[in-house]
Amino acid sequence: MTLIGNICSSLFPNLSGDSKNREGVRRIDASIRFPLLTLIISASVWLIIATVVGFIASIKMHSPGFLADYSFLTYGKVAPIFWNSLVYGWLFNAGLACAVFLLSRLGGKNVGLGAFLTISITLWNTGVTAGIIGIMWGEQLPFQWLEFPAFAAPILFLAFLGIGTWNLLTFRARIHRSSYASQWWILASIFSFAWIYTAAQVMLVGTPAKGAIQTLVNSWYVENVFGLVIAPLTFATLYYLLPKTLGTVVVGYKYSSWAFWSWFLFASFSGFVDLANGPIPAWVSSLGIIATFGLLIPTTTMSIQFFSSLFSRFSVIWDSATARYLFAGCITFLLVMYQKIFGSLRGALDTTQFSLYDSGVTQLALFGFAGMTFTGAIYFILPRLLNKELPSTSLIDLQFWSHLIGLILVSIGLISGGTQQGELMNGSTAEALVVVKTMQSSFYLTTIGMVFFIIGAVASGATYIGIILSTRIPEETETSLIKEAPELEYSAS
Amino acid sequence: MNRGPFIFLGIFLIVATSWTFVLFETNQWVGNLSAVLDEDLGKYVPGKTVGAAAHGKEVYQELGCIACHTQQVRVASGMDIARGWGERQSVARDYINEERSLIGNIRIGPDLSNVGSRQLDRNWYLLHFYNPQINSQGTNMPPYPFLYEVREVVGEASANALDLPEEFFPGEGLEVIPTRKAESLASYMLSLKVDYDLKEAPKSNETMAEELAVALEIAQ
Repeated sequence: MTLIGNICSSLFPNLSGDSKNREGVRRIDASIRFPLLTLIISASVWLIIATVVGFIASIKMHSPGFLADYSFLTYGKVAPIFWNSLVYGWLFNAGLACAVFLLSRLGGKNVGLGAFLTISITLWNTGVTAGIIGIMWGEQLPFQWLEFPAFAAPILFLAFLGIGTWNLLTFRARIHRSSYASQWWILASIFSFAWIYTAAQVMLVGTPAKGAIQTLVNSWYVENVFGLVIAPLTFATLYYLLPKTLGTVVVGYKYSSWAFWSWFLFASFSGFVDLANGPIPAWVSSLGIIATFGLLIPTTTMSIQFFSSLFSRFSVIWDSATARYLFAGCITFLLVMYQKIFGSLRGALDTTQFSLYDSGVTQLALFGFAGMTFTGAIYFILPRLLNKELPSTSLIDLQFWSHLIGLILVSIGLISGGTQQGELMNGSTAEALVVVKTMQSSFYLTTIGMVFFIIGAVASGATYIGIILSTRIPEETETSLIKEAPELEYSAS
Repeated sequence: MNRGPFIFLGIFLIVATSWTFVLFETNQWVGNLSAVLDEDLGKYVPGKTVGAAAHGKEVYQELGCIACHTQQVRVASGMDIARGWGERQSVARDYINEERSLIGNIRIGPDLSNVGSRQLDRNWYLLHFYNPQINSQGTNMPPYPFLYEVREVVGEASANALDLPEEFFPGEGLEVIPTRKAESLASYMLSLKVDYDLKEAPKSNETMAEELAVALEIAQ
């Protein structure tokens, strides 16, 4: 009974002690409270599912007999389930949670329509669930990150349209005429996803392109989901939260639009690299390599912005959990871009093509760069949304460190193991069995890393549930509980 | 920079350019490719996957074999030719009849575009799918026991029962029968071979040298 009371108190807090200025923020928070919690809880559940499935998949790499009797858990099915629950389950929910919060707060006006947003989010998660059940059922399509059977696509599209429309309306309703970098990135990522998802579905499922072109479409889509959707949502979060947590403006903010446009221009062409020497025209992969190198421009610009800001207030990183996550996110951003850009060189590609190297870089990008930034953001959002303290800092520490250790183990396992595998596969005629033997230690490393990911996922889930279910203490009924972060976005734009 | 429509238009143009320039262009080009008459074989190549092999291809897709196997041979890099995975570069024309492309981009196991000309024994595949350890000890390919039916021998043993080595036998008085899915998958594997030449993809130098050596040996 008290639990129900606590949930009600979380959802409909009765707060006192407020200045006029805060009234508006509280109204905005109230209108997005339920949809945001839906996004955050769904993200957390999907993260737990993804890490458990990833754990199973990683065991199968060194012990192929594990759970082999169940047709729905064969490696060819758990691998796509892992990726899809990671991308569409965890990162989309978490990234959209950041988008909803950022656009509402930056816009300064509440558009309402909370029920509409919640329904769209629920529909999205229904679509993802249906897709994953479809894969288990044996209906998967042979396209990376588009393995969901055809029936899941319209559900996901409709749901995304709903979420996207809400975001657009919120942006339109903003009270400030000017807009902040975070808002551009969010809008652009929403437009992009609607565009690329439609194009990919039409060219792969609706009226399938001929043979080899399908791999081209697929590669274009996968690279763009990261480059035009997930990465932009992450940048949006960084541009907003760095000033908030560090208490300083983003250094060199005026170069943001330059970084924005150059990123989109180059990222949209940066796929196709892994198709080199395959059955497609050679110029396509060359174009991909050039575009990937072009990404050096926005990468350098944004790294300078983010790291200069972080280093100007370095001590905060030890005090604030969110800042620590953002710092980790920025470091992995650099590592990922370094691997992507220099990994696209012909020499490197000759070694790593078709190996697990790519999968390692992608996991570093998803679990590290995007994942850690979004997680840090959620730790920033939740206390403000509910006007409650996070239940336990040691749980957050546990999550941070286990996630980080998991990240290090998995990416070392896959990136160095993948390089080793590539050297043997592409550079020698060693038997496949010899390659597998050499990879054993890397496979075990990945499995141990996945265990750490699971621990982290459960710890963050416990934090989210904890803050919702905890009893509201007297201090938490005062709005003065949360020191409002300085508004530094507009001073810089 | 402050207006939504401006951002929308910019992003729309960028993504549209990338789509038109790469996907639309190449799609037109591949759309114009057609099967060609191979005079040596007396038929149009590439052929279509039909019958049990076509069903096997669906099983291949359903089980996600693409998570570990590619179906493409490269000449400019890698060791595909030296490994005997094919005789020439795979080109777009090889795939024009594929409604679902299974080209793939991860190789945990070997490339399969020519597996049907490397391993001709149907039984080998049926044993391999039941448990790859039977004929590829030490591999990390998973077994697919659910593609088989284990049943009691009534009277005489079935003709299509697997001839399993002692240690893989499920038990006394039992036999292992491949289901239709396992049989089709084996048919699909046997159908995977690129046994024709295309003008745009001449045989690799290594293959030519090898063929020349064989011809010389015969001549001597």
